[in-house]
Amino acid sequence: MKALEVRALSFAYEDGTPALKGVDLEMEEGEKVAVIGPNGAGKSTLLHLVAGFRAPFQGSVKVMGKPLDERSADDVRRHIGLLFQDPDDQIFMPTVEEDVGFGPLNLGLDSVEERVSRALRSVSVEDLAKRKPHRLSHGMKKRVAIAGVLAMEPDLLLLDEPTAGLDPRSRSGLIGLLRDMRRTMLIATHDLEAAGEVADRVVLLNGSVAFDGPLSGLMRRDDLLDAAGLEPPQVSRLFRRLRGMGYGAQTVPVTLDQGVAEAVKLMEREKGRSGDRGR
Amino acid sequence: MIVAHVRGHHTRPEEIDEHARASWLGGLDARAKIAGTVAFVVATALLTRTELVLASLMLSVSFAAVSRVPYRHLMRMYLGALPFILIASVSVFMFAGFWRGMDMWARTSSCVIALLVLASGTETFELFSGLRGLKVPRLVSTLLTLTYRYILILGDELGRMRTARRARGFRGGRSLLDSRGLRVISSTAGMVFVRAAGRAENGYEALRARGFRSDMRPMRTSRLKAADLAFMAWFACVSSLLVALQLGAVP
Repeated sequence: MKALEVRALSFAYEDGTPALKGVDLEMEEGEKVAVIGPNGAGKSTLLHLVAGFRAPFQGSVKVMGKPLDERSADDVRRHIGLLFQDPDDQIFMPTVEEDVGFGPLNLGLDSVEERVSRALRSVSVEDLAKRKPHRLSHGMKKRVAIAGVLAMEPDLLLLDEPTAGLDPRSRSGLIGLLRDMRRTMLIATHDLEAAGEVADRVVLLNGSVAFDGPLSGLMRRDDLLDAAGLEPPQVSRLFRRLRGMGYGAQTVPVTLDQGVAEAVKLMEREKGRSGDRGR
Repeated sequence: MIVAHVRGHHTRPEEIDEHARASWLGGLDARAKIAGTVAFVVATALLTRTELVLASLMLSVSFAAVSRVPYRHLMRMYLGALPFILIASVSVFMFAGFWRGMDMWARTSSCVIALLVLASGTETFELFSGLRGLKVPRLVSTLLTLTYRYILILGDELGRMRTARRARGFRGGRSLLDSRGLRVISSTAGMVFVRAAGRAENGYEALRARGFRSDMRPMRTSRLKAADLAFMAWFACVSSLLVALQLGAVP
């Protein structure tokens, strides 16, 4: 069964402004997909629509095989964990543990306290259980918000700009956390580096789907990047520039690890070439 | 690392609930506090004998004094309620004479002070969950919780816009003759509501996304402890005594 099936999805805002046009998207269980695109591309709208918060729409959406419509939205949402861009929109209860337990209690799930401690542990904030969420830093609030979603043990995680507004250390900590998490995830982001680190594939959205595949494939499509106004990650830019200078890399790396591997290969090739010249 | 991330941001809910943590009342169960205080307020409302009304006022003031809620804070809150107390007292004074007016002032002041101590000595969310625990209709406690959250959002937005205004040199609006300043302030008020409505919408969707329908269920149900029972017993005794004296049941 597919975790998510979106077919010919179109949606316009109340004032008639089109937001999504003929979007097709499929996700297997366990897959991590990043929806990337510039501001106003419809990334957040797509996530909110899949979570049943935007209607009416044209086309079809199925979550874990269940078709989404206005009547089934509450039922479909039981399979979904939606992380909001601003954790202050999401965090509500007076203490961290009560906030994390809010979803499981509403859904009538069993062993709520166990779920809460498991979720807090999984995002490494178990020490904050008794804290007031309003007193936490933005990065910690994000983790608490993720824990609040994980405690519901959803089949599909929808993450809206998870790295937005984080300082570099919190950002890399969160990226590592999402990368190591074994969950089906649809991540809306304009952070291409984060997308490269976490996602198995990317979907470039600019009203409609302009690209669907691995991020390294998108990095070779200057036309699409330019049209969407996207800046490749620093490491990709470095290798594109090196290629321009005649140092041909075999692939365009998108993460630091890939960049290191490609740089090693490049150096070995260059060493071999200068050895040949010496002989 | 985590501890390093926990910073002392003083956001509005913290400021509002600041006194609840300073007072020993903060450690009591909200249900006990609400039941005890409401019993006292109802008993006081029934009093007509001047000496009993004054006794009730003294009890209220003593309750405030021992609660360790800062008296300046209570005084500020009381001054906020004073116009309403005065309206009630003056209207009684005009129709029933000076002493009846004074009785009304003392009676309403006694009730208001007791309720202010209750509100200041209890964290807001606990107060709402206490109401829920006392079988107040869930719709009412949920509405109170959501309203409180909306007010906080409104306050946040107002604070942000005020800062943004000041950052761009706005110093107007201090006089009713400053028409430009008043225009800026009125458009700010409009924007605050528009932005707060947007954020409130997000907040509501976030609640719905986590299965919220119409009820805020507490994670744990707690039992009343000895201190809670003692608090309720004290208020029950005092309230019963006042009512008994009023009815002449005690010679």
